[in-house]
Parts: sequence; C-alpha cells; structure tokens
Amino acid sequence: MTLSLSDPTWYPIASSEDLPYRHVYQGQLLGRELAVWRADDGNVNVWENRCLHRGVRLSIGINEGGELKCQYHGWRYANRSAGCTYIPAHPADAPARRIQNRTYPVREAYGLIWSSANDQQAFRPFAGAEGHDWFALRPMPVNAAPEDVLAALVGLAPDDQPADLLPGLAVRFGGTYYFVQPVDAGRAVIRGLLRERPADPVAALRHYNELLSKLRDRLERSASRKPAPEPLQPAYDKVSADLATMPDIAIPRGNTVTVVVKRKWTSADGVIGFELAARDGHLPTFQPGAHIDLHLPNGMTRQYSITNGPGELMSYIIGVKQESASKGGSKVLVETVREGDLLSISEPRNNFPLRRDATRTVLIAGGIGITPLLSMARFLDKSALPYELHYFTRAGETTAFRSELEALHGKVIFHTGLPRSEIGTTIAAALGQWSMAQHVYVCGPGPMLETVRATATAQGWPDESIHFEYFKNDKIIDSSSSFDVELARSAMTLHVPSGKSIMEVMREAGLTVPSSCEQGACGTCLTTVIEGEVDHQDVYLNDSEKRANSCMMTCVSRAKSARLVLDI
Amino acid sequence: MAITLYDFELSGNCYKLRLLMSILKLRYDIVPVDFYPGRQHKADWFLRLNPFGQLPVLKDDDLTLSDSGAILAYLARKYDDTGLWFPDDPAITAEVLRWHAVADDITSTASAARLALGFFYDFDVAKAQKGAHRIFRLMDEHLWFGEREGRDWLCGPAHPTTADIACFPYVMLSEEGGISRQDYPALRRWTDRVRRIPGFTVMSGVFPAGRALEEA
Ligand SMILES: N[C@@H](CCC(=O)N[C@@H](CS)C(=O)NCC(=O)O)C(=O)O
Ligand code: FES
Repeated sequence: MTLSLSDPTWYPIASSEDLPYRHVYQGQLLGRELAVWRADDGNVNVWENRCLHRGVRLSIGINEGGELKCQYHGWRYANRSAGCTYIPAHPADAPARRIQNRTYPVREAYGLIWSSANDQQAFRPFAGAEGHDWFALRPMPVNAAPEDVLAALVGLAPDDQPADLLPGLAVRFGGTYYFVQPVDAGRAVIRGLLRERPADPVAALRHYNELLSKLRDRLERSASRKPAPEPLQPAYDKVSADLATMPDIAIPRGNTVTVVVKRKWTSADGVIGFELAARDGHLPTFQPGAHIDLHLPNGMTRQYSITNGPGELMSYIIGVKQESASKGGSKVLVETVREGDLLSISEPRNNFPLRRDATRTVLIAGGIGITPLLSMARFLDKSALPYELHYFTRAGETTAFRSELEALHGKVIFHTGLPRSEIGTTIAAALGQWSMAQHVYVCGPGPMLETVRATATAQGWPDESIHFEYFKNDKIIDSSSSFDVELARSAMTLHVPSGKSIMEVMREAGLTVPSSCEQGACGTCLTTVIEGEVDHQDVYLNDSEKRANSCMMTCVSRAKSARLVLDI
Repeated sequence: MAITLYDFELSGNCYKLRLLMSILKLRYDIVPVDFYPGRQHKADWFLRLNPFGQLPVLKDDDLTLSDSGAILAYLARKYDDTGLWFPDDPAITAEVLRWHAVADDITSTASAARLALGFFYDFDVAKAQKGAHRIFRLMDEHLWFGEREGRDWLCGPAHPTTADIACFPYVMLSEEGGISRQDYPALRRWTDRVRRIPGFTVMSGVFPAGRALEEA
C-alpha cells in the first residue's frame, strides 16, 4: 500500500486532551503540516501550518482565543474561517479582500480530533463507535511506515481474539481499537481507544504505553534496516503576491449570504437584538468595526454593525433601533421580521477599522452607536489591549447590550441620562490631552459625533487619531460639474449636466439602476470605473478605495475629468 | 550585592540565568563575552574565571561561579525568599538535580546540533539530533503522565523549579538544530507553561506564548 496525498479518509490527528485552550498544537497528516488550535468557544481549527504572509509556521503563533496571531509579523486569522482580520503593517486599514488560510475538515469525537486531506468524504463514525464512553490512550509516534505499523498492531492480537481490520488503517480486538495516523511515508502515530473507561485509568495508560513503546522500538529497529521511504511531497499552493500584500483596490459589492433569524429580543428600551445565523457552516470573516447590509423584505437596504467578538462566526448579532419616526427601514425589521425568517445580507465591509497598536484607545458610543464599539471592545479585550469605553444613553432602560458590556475586562463607563450641558465636559474629560499613539473611535448621533470631533481637535487630537463612521451622508453634494459618461457595456454615451446625478441621467435614458439611500452611504449603486477621474462625494468607500479610482457611487459622485467610462 | 553575568546573548546556558534572575527580579550587570566568532571563552582572561572555558560565569561580589545548573541553585538558595525554586527537601533536591543533569545532556545534544548548524561547529549533527530526540521522548512521556497525575512541571512540587529553567532553553531552541518537536505534544505544552511564568523573559529564537485563558 502506498499513501496518497489525495486520500479522502478521515484519520485521527490529535487527542482532545492535546488541545487545551490558548495552545497551538503542531500536527501532520499525509505529509501536510497542520496548525491545530481550540478557540475559547471550543471550536477546533485545523489549518495549513503556514502563515500566508511569509510562510512562517502558525504552530509557533499565539492562540488569542478567537484569533491566531502569527509570531512573525503579527497577522491575525479568525477562528473557523482562517480569514485574515488584521495586518499590523497596515494598522489603519481593514484587509479588504478575503485573505484566507487553507483549512481542513475537522471533527472532535470519541476523545480524538479527526481530519482529512480534503472534503470529499463526509465524516462517518467507525463501526460500533456510538454509545460508549471512549477512553484515549497516550498517542505513540513511530518512525516507521504507517502500513508496517498497522501490520505490527495486528500482531498484538491475543490468540483467542482475532484482529478485526477496520477501514482507514485501523484495527480492533475486543474493546481495544488502534488507529494509525499516516503522518508521512515513514512516520505514523498510533492512537488507541478503549471502549470502556478502565477502573484505574493511570495504571491502564501506563500498561498500554509500555506495550506500545516496545512495539515502537521493534518497528523502528526494523525500519532503520530498510531504506527510508521518500517523504510525501505535498504541493503548497504559493500564495499569490496580491493575497499576501495589502490590497489597495476596492472590492465591488460582495456576494450576498442568506441567514436565518435565530433570535430576536429586546436588548433595551427601543433596541431590538437580532441574531443572524449561517444556514450551514459559518459566516464570512469580519473585522471589528465592520457592518453588513441587510436587505429588507420591502426592498430597502440598511446597514448594521456587527457586535461580535473575534472568531465568532456562527452568527452575527446586530442591534436595531426601534424608531417610531423611521421611514420603514428598521421599522420593517422590528415589526415584521420574526425568528426563523430568512434574510439576505451582504458580506461584511469595514469602513471603521480598529488599530491594534495604540497605547490608548478611547471608545465613545451614543445610544445605538454602541454596536461597532462593542465589537471593538471585545477584540481589544481578547488581546488584552487597554481601552476605555464610554457609553452615553438617555436613560438606564435604553442601555443596550448591558450584560455583554459588563462581561468585558476593560474599563467600561456608563453615562446615563446626563444633561446636555454635562455631555460636553464628560467627553472632554474622557478624551484628555492627546499624546502619541492614542486613538478615539466614536459612533452615535450626529451632534455627538460633532462634539467629539470638535473637542478632540481642540485638545490636540490630530485628524488621523479620530475615527468615526457614517451611515448617513451629511455632506453637501457639489453637483456643479458637467461631463460625459460612456457606458461601456450599454454602448451609450450620456451627458451629465450640472444639477443632475449620473444615476438620474442613466434612469432618464431608460436604464434600471439599483439604489437604496441615494446619498452615497449604502453602496448599493457601486459601479466599476474603467476610465476617467472620479470626484468621490460618498461616505461609503474608504480613502484607499477612493484613491484607487476603480469604482464609484453614481448617486452622488461625479467626474473630475471631462469623460468617465463605466462598466455598465 | 553586585551580580555580574559573563554572557553571550545567543547562549541558552546564559539565558537560563537571565531567565531566573528576571523571575526573581534581580538586578545584574552583563559583561558580554564574544563566544562566536571571537572564542573569547578560551582567552586567558576568561580561563582565569573558569578554567573549563565555558560560559556562563557569574560573579556575586567576590564569589566567582560557573556551570549554569550550579548557578541556578546558588541564585535560588540565596535570593528566592519563597524557597520554591530550589526547595530544601532532600528528596526534591535530588529530583531537581536529576533534571539539572538532563539539562546538561540536552546541552550536549540539542545545543550541539544547533551549534553545528548555526555556528559552524564541527559536531556530528545526526548523532546530536538522535540524542536529543531520545531525551525529548522521555521528557514528553514524563510530562504527559504528569498532566494525568496533576503535575505540570518536571519535578513533583505544584510549582516550577530550577529544573524547568535548566531544561527549557535548548528544548525551545531545538528547531535551530533541526530537531522538530512535533512528536512531543506534552513537551510543547510544558514550554507554554514555562513561558507563562510571571517574570518570564525571551531571547532570540524564544517567543512568548501569549496569555493563558484564566488570566485573559
Ligand atoms: N554544563 C555547563 C555547560 C556550559 C556550556 O556548554 N557552555 C557553552 C556555551 S552555551 C560553552 O561555553 N561551550 C564551550 C565549550 O564547552 O568549550 C553549563 O550548564 O553551564
Ligand atoms: S509571516 Fe506571518 S505575519 Fe509575516
């Protein structure tokens, strides 16, 4: 028998006990090295043992509970998705594209961690697996060919109990099962399971350990007399340069994802929490500060920040303000969407990235603006980075996500029902004077945002240290320019006069143009630019995306050049 | 009290002392010795401090000491008020010294392989690697059963001792000598625990482990 790199069999690659919290286990299956780690939510990750950046082993990295941090240049990867969430060399930017490490299938069962080289086969328990309290033996690594190891194990069968060969390099006699993990052509690990927990566990473990050590010594002696088999040569897909570096081009609107409303609850007076779960597997990677677009049953699109902590990808939790005056956005969500309903969301986008290299991070939230800041606080919390979170609400009952905030270890200060006059002085005191590497993040109602910006500026905080996010475009749109747009795919050239938007002109020409907010805030009308210089007036694209000049919002943005060529 | 360490930055044996002194919060001066490529540990001035021509050497006022294991014992006895790092109990003392001896075996195997691959020493690399694997196997077994029996460290007490400090550096640096620790999961977990001892400090090639869950 020769080992195959594409063998789809599930093999055990570790014991459950090999994976305490905050540890990274180094494994190998069929020649491929693995970084295996348990996140704080119990999920086990089996990843290729190479950082996408410079190929450094992730098994020497740091398990931060929700993210794995590479020891070399500190790239962080999320639990479950292995998506890159932070690149320290670009602290102010969000990794815009989906940089994602290779993951392998995983199952934790019977005291062992199982994986396979690919996902061609669904996990199936071995015959007779169900219904027992399995007891794992001490794994025994052996420097010998896996098939020789199996043959030797068969030889251990007592005379009155013939060996029963099981699929996938395994053998059983009575209640003793041995699985051979094919590490490489000349290396294996024997993973034993007892069907019943022995009366004296440590004595049993010592007994089998001695037995298997002797077997190993015999196997290794005979292996050393033979020529060593050629190790397997797994092909490592070289990471393309554009994946391994920070992208500077904007991504067009990502795919939509269907989620199910798993839970809907009143988090505070006027704030409804929604838990949106993946239908199978996990949701896409997000970074702190990211939001999703939610496509509402009435055809509208609204943005909501993800409140989750690192590596929490089984569902996104959002908070929705129940505005009586609302034009039908959150109203529809609050009034008509029920638990069990399906909704369509965009992939997460981040226009509000969190730096993780600050000496001091101040988070200021007003009302429902708590949502992105809760996520940020959770990320900082897991990495044990210092922060102060100031949360302003009108009254105690309107304090959303209170228990989640109280579970944090950092400094969380609730400012409840302050008179308007005191809000300004409280913000001023919370900010203090600026010094190097301090950053403030603010999310809340417009006037509060303005107060924080003005106060921070007055207290010496430079623009780059003040971070905020718009869900509304309050800027005055300058529509004085006039220019031509060439619609490449529609073979049409239109003139856009001053006072009219590109979108309006296209609609007048009979084109259907999707839109939602029509103020450059939601991204629905994002269009690829082929030629020409864009006059960006939206608040949707971030600065580097704007600089890249490769896409635009046709509802508010215009042209600096005489002509624009769009991919429409 | 004035402690001076005759130190080579990349030496694991010198690092053992920096590590314990960091844990015990001791202040000390460093005299750098150009071990490689200068071979200053064979220079007359150094041989007068240690005729065996080996680093590290530590001076405490007028006292001149050599051998990392002996110095660890000295520092712990003299400066560790808790008495935990080198316990007084005869049986535990024997246990600790047993592992100090293993630490020397790790030096002559894992460290030799590292010197051969990284510092162009003329050693038998294959033999050194094989010897290291033999020791790592035994350590892994010892630590694996320790985990089952509620012992986190090399010796019996419920806290680390100089035995853990003495064995740690060249285990942690073994990859530099071409010795993988993939087959020693319990040994790898123990290196996490050592790296989480309050006051732990790093050297080139030794990375921090990050926080444990309880303290996070
Ligand atoms: N048992 C001694 C061994 C020290 C040792 O091997 N030191 C190395 C430097 S890390 C050395 O000086 N080697 C030179 C030699 O042995 O000639 C100790 O633990 O201090
Ligand atoms: S190699 Fe991992 S961050 Fe650079």
